[in-house]
Amino acid sequence: MIYLDHAAATPVSAKVLKAMEPYFSRDFFNPSAAYLPAKKVASEYEAAKDIIAHAIGAKAADLVITGGATEANNLAFTVLDDQVRVLASPSRSRVRPSGLSPQTDGATPRFANLRTPLRRDSDTTHTVVLYLETEHDSVRAVAKKHNGTAIRVLPNGLIDLDDLRAKITDETMLVSVSLANNELGTIQPMAEISTILKNIKIDRLRRGIKRPLYLHSDASQALNLLDINVSRLGVDVLTLNAAKVYGPKGVGALYVGHDVKLTPITVGGGQEKGLRSGTENVPGVAGFATAMKEAKEHLNSNRKKYRHLKQILLTELDGYELINKKHSLDSFVVLCYPGIDAERLIYLLEEKEVYVATGAACAASKGQGSHVLAAIGLSDAEINGSLRLTLGETNDEKQIHATARIINEVVKAERQRMLARG
Amino acid sequence: MKTVFVGMSGGVDSSVSALLLKEQGYNVIGVYMKNWSKDLPGMKCPWAEDLADAKRVAVKLGIDFEVWDFEEAYKEKVVEYMLREFRAGNTPNPDIMCNQEIKFKLFYEKAMERGADYIATGHYARVVAGVQDDLRVLASQSRSGARRSLPSPWGSRATPQFANFRTPLRRDSDATRKESSILRQKDNTDYLLARAVDENKDQTYFLYRISEEALAHTIFPIGEMTKPEVKKLAEKKGLHNAYKKESMGVCFVGEVGMKDFLKGYIDIRPGEIREIESEKVLGYHEGVIFYTIGQRHGLYLTGIAGEVNDGLPYYVVKKDIDNNIVYVSKNLNNEYIWAKRLELKDIVLRAQGLAPPSRSGARPSGLSPQADGATPRFANLRTPLRRDSDATRANMGDILVRLRHRAPLIPAKMVLGENGTATLEFENEVKRPAAGQSAVVYDGEICLGGGIIQ
Repeated sequence: MIYLDHAAATPVSAKVLKAMEPYFSRDFFNPSAAYLPAKKVASEYEAAKDIIAHAIGAKAADLVITGGATEANNLAFTVLDDQVRVLASPSRSRVRPSGLSPQTDGATPRFANLRTPLRRDSDTTHTVVLYLETEHDSVRAVAKKHNGTAIRVLPNGLIDLDDLRAKITDETMLVSVSLANNELGTIQPMAEISTILKNIKIDRLRRGIKRPLYLHSDASQALNLLDINVSRLGVDVLTLNAAKVYGPKGVGALYVGHDVKLTPITVGGGQEKGLRSGTENVPGVAGFATAMKEAKEHLNSNRKKYRHLKQILLTELDGYELINKKHSLDSFVVLCYPGIDAERLIYLLEEKEVYVATGAACAASKGQGSHVLAAIGLSDAEINGSLRLTLGETNDEKQIHATARIINEVVKAERQRMLARG
Repeated sequence: MKTVFVGMSGGVDSSVSALLLKEQGYNVIGVYMKNWSKDLPGMKCPWAEDLADAKRVAVKLGIDFEVWDFEEAYKEKVVEYMLREFRAGNTPNPDIMCNQEIKFKLFYEKAMERGADYIATGHYARVVAGVQDDLRVLASQSRSGARRSLPSPWGSRATPQFANFRTPLRRDSDATRKESSILRQKDNTDYLLARAVDENKDQTYFLYRISEEALAHTIFPIGEMTKPEVKKLAEKKGLHNAYKKESMGVCFVGEVGMKDFLKGYIDIRPGEIREIESEKVLGYHEGVIFYTIGQRHGLYLTGIAGEVNDGLPYYVVKKDIDNNIVYVSKNLNNEYIWAKRLELKDIVLRAQGLAPPSRSGARPSGLSPQADGATPRFANLRTPLRRDSDATRANMGDILVRLRHRAPLIPAKMVLGENGTATLEFENEVKRPAAGQSAVVYDGEICLGGGIIQ
């Protein structure tokens, strides 16, 4: 098997598995229980959280452990909940004339002078959220729920900072931009974005506007490929994910900056400082911590290895166009074979036990072509001919030579089949 | 090389069908018919996974693969029909309508436009090709009353014999008929639908309404195989979906999905459940359309133990749509549950050589006795058609009737009425199927057609 889809999932490493194991059976205690063995588990849990936090330049107290990145992204957007309630009400009462009662008699429309109908409460959130158009569905879906506005990307996949500046209004409270894109690996200039936001915040304060402005970033893809530090990035909220860094699935975390106030989605026993109730996933967090430690240790050597393997692919593959030319994570190779149906390639490659991804409209994407590839200006034909290869720790040089040969063969066979059809 | 467009659902049956066609040397194009893709709350529409399964098999077989979008038509022809019927208190069968309107109409027509010689699907059914003259000769040989020509059994009637046919029976001259390698050379060939070899899986119940024109251009590659054989072959050929769980294709088809689906489309009102004998209110229902005659589960009955709940179940016996009342009875012999006669409408009858049953008592079937065996008449069938002497055959009637998919064949008599109606008479009472369901009529192995139960 040659696995080239590390952006989708990574195998749990041997060390991670070992770190998790005791907590399934021997040290199974509920960290909230009163007796000493449970207290020991509780302190080990906190220590594990500390390791995860340190890896991004934060402290355990800043982390909320979640059931994965999607949940973390959803939780991040709850910064809006409280604020919208508090801030929206005064402005509403100013705008709205009294007596907005049901039109009981129905004789004459009461506000016939208004060209646009009066907005309902939910509409006040209209421009509150900005998100990058290439975000993962877990951000897009929740941003759309809040009537968010998409920020455009440039053809190279980077955020269009002018568009960001143009779309931020005094209403904007949250900007969400992933650190590295999950389809292209494009690394966004978070520091530049946070500087822009900082200046806007200063300007708001000067004008006496109290409305906060937060920066959220989903760092799921970049955790083991970039040196991440929350202060350097300038983010207020950051999403982490164990499953992409050789940790277990179903474990994620949200870094929450000090002046950020979230509202829990899941309530109950008050775990995770009340932001995420439910008995702690001790084995999951122990595994996550070990995975983060390993990621830190191997960061530079892995990056070097991936750059080397990527170069082999780009040299030995035939007849492709490289899509993610610049500003990309070292492990991402996104190719396009114009005119070829990449979904067919996936199935042909799987026969040879080579596993890759595509941005094509395929079953895995519910028949939708990649919105990311469309955003950077690729045509439908280009999107349907796209392959995403993401390198990882399971790969070695020999595999990559074989991959190049197999993909070349399969593409050639597919071109011949099409040629025979005319 | 003959071109076949094969409908591929992602299931093992249509996958093996494509495989067999490919091995038989056809130019095969796999098509996924996208009929429905909407999720229901709490229910994920399986279309994307099904499509992937179909495409994966197509790629493995090295055949072309396309997705044809019939969602609009499906909504209009199948879903709206279904909703209309449910609103009227009937229990329609969307699969039968889908075959009639989508698979063997739109898919067939588009395939023919694209230059198909045939279409194929993974249904368990067979097409028999016979020569009409031969059929007639057979009929006369085997019966005392020689029937040389069609009209005779109907001679006494003033109305045109086949007024009930939706489309006139086509004669030999039909221009669309093409030559073919599998006994379709003669232009006076009849194309008849026959039961599958695998009695357990026979799907002719769902196919009785498809047009003869489509049938004449249809191949059912697995009609001669049993399901275990199909699975085994799929496994042997390395098809990944050999043991895929059978799906209904469309999420709302099937018991569980239908109710949720209907709730989203039909404005339902709760109402009373009454005992039919006493008119006493025994409980309340969620909406009269959710109930079918004969049903005994899902009834919310209140009342005094011993009076209502004496251990005997209540059955739904009647639905009063106008007054929103569901009537129930404990009397298992209630006339609404059992019937000796069923009235049918929208009759479809095929097989002109096999005229619908006469009242003269003569059995119209010409197919059964392969009398002299001189020439194989159905050379396209590997397995000979079962004989009339089939144990299921009784003396009662001229035909066999199937009232539900996979239900046993029941001997009956069929009397045609005006405007596409007919009456089925049974020797013994049968459990009355819900109005809107189909009664499908067979002569031995041949599916003659059927109608909608009123």
